[in-house]
Amino acid sequence: MTNPATATMRALSPLSALRPVLQTVLGPTVASVARTLDRLLDELIAEVVRRVDLDAAARRLDIEAVLDRVDLTATVLYRVDLRTVVREVLDQLDERSIALVVSRVDVDGVAQRLDLDAVAKRLDVDAVAQRLDVEAVLDRIDLTSTVLRRVDLKAVVDAALAQVDLVALAEQVIDGVDLPEIIRDSTGSMASETVKGVRMQGIEADQAVGRAMDRLLLRHARRSDEPNA
Amino acid sequence: MSGGTAGGGVSPVPREARPYQGRRAGLVTRLVAAVLDGAVVGVLLAAGYFGLAGLLFLVDPRGFSMPRAGLVFSLASAFVVSFLYLTLAWTMSGRTYGYLVMGLRVVGRGGRTLGLTGSALRALGVVLLPIGVLWVVVGRDNRSVQDVVLGTAVVYDWQPRGAQDHPHT
Repeated sequence: MTNPATATMRALSPLSALRPVLQTVLGPTVASVARTLDRLLDELIAEVVRRVDLDAAARRLDIEAVLDRVDLTATVLYRVDLRTVVREVLDQLDERSIALVVSRVDVDGVAQRLDLDAVAKRLDVDAVAQRLDVEAVLDRIDLTSTVLRRVDLKAVVDAALAQVDLVALAEQVIDGVDLPEIIRDSTGSMASETVKGVRMQGIEADQAVGRAMDRLLLRHARRSDEPNA
Repeated sequence: MSGGTAGGGVSPVPREARPYQGRRAGLVTRLVAAVLDGAVVGVLLAAGYFGLAGLLFLVDPRGFSMPRAGLVFSLASAFVVSFLYLTLAWTMSGRTYGYLVMGLRVVGRGGRTLGLTGSALRALGVVLLPIGVLWVVVGRDNRSVQDVVLGTAVVYDWQPRGAQDHPHT
């Protein structure tokens, strides 16, 4: 550290043409005086510090004004190792703190800002579907009521009927079932059943009598089968 | 064949009876039908008798007594009523009430329903010679004497409609 007196002397030195002389004569004296002054100055400062009530001075200090003049953000960013600070903070976080943080987060707001389309594009839907238990999903859905409520059954039936040849189908059904027999069974009264029975028994009796007569008259067979011509 | 489906329609004839449709009927069926027709004629005669009695009562209530019908008159009445009944029935539908119940029909040549003349001749033959029906079992063709003479036949026909709808060929 350069002594102030020495510095003064050096500052004056270019002004004097007698510098070498003076330096030789006055040098030691000046140096001695400078040392003395330095020592006195140190003692003076120590005394001032000792006597001054720093707390009172601090109380009179306008801290706000000081802070206004300081760019704290830039200072922190420049001076503080933020990474270490964050790591320390995270290490001290427990579940309750995290829950507290989460409870204060507006998740809906976050979700609104999310680009879900982009997310969906990156999603492998096939893989998700393969893991899906479709049976379980179907068990939880009342498909019947859903269909009844959502499906235009009339349109479906019309479309189905439009592809069916109803006449051909009806003929097929009639061929398959003995419709007249069913109609007779459903509408036939006891009387018609009795008449049918009497007629059939009459036919059988006719044949029996005819066969008996044929045997009696030693004939082979009668020709009642032939149509009347 | 009248027993099967005809003209695309469905037959009202029961399946088990279809094979017999159009075949000439045997003696038993025809006798049963004849008995029923005899009963019809009897009812008609009784109705005529009581109708006549009622008429007489209205004309002369005081001197009324049940009319006496002699044997000849009764027989003559029975013949006439039978003749008219058979003729009208066979002309109109080919079947009397007895034939209707038993599923029979009288057909002429070609399987057509008899005309008035044919019906009258056959009715006359039946009334005059009822026993001629027994030739059904004697002959080989299930024909009575009247059938043989007139070329008619009595066939099984359970179709409720007229013979014109399903001609026997």
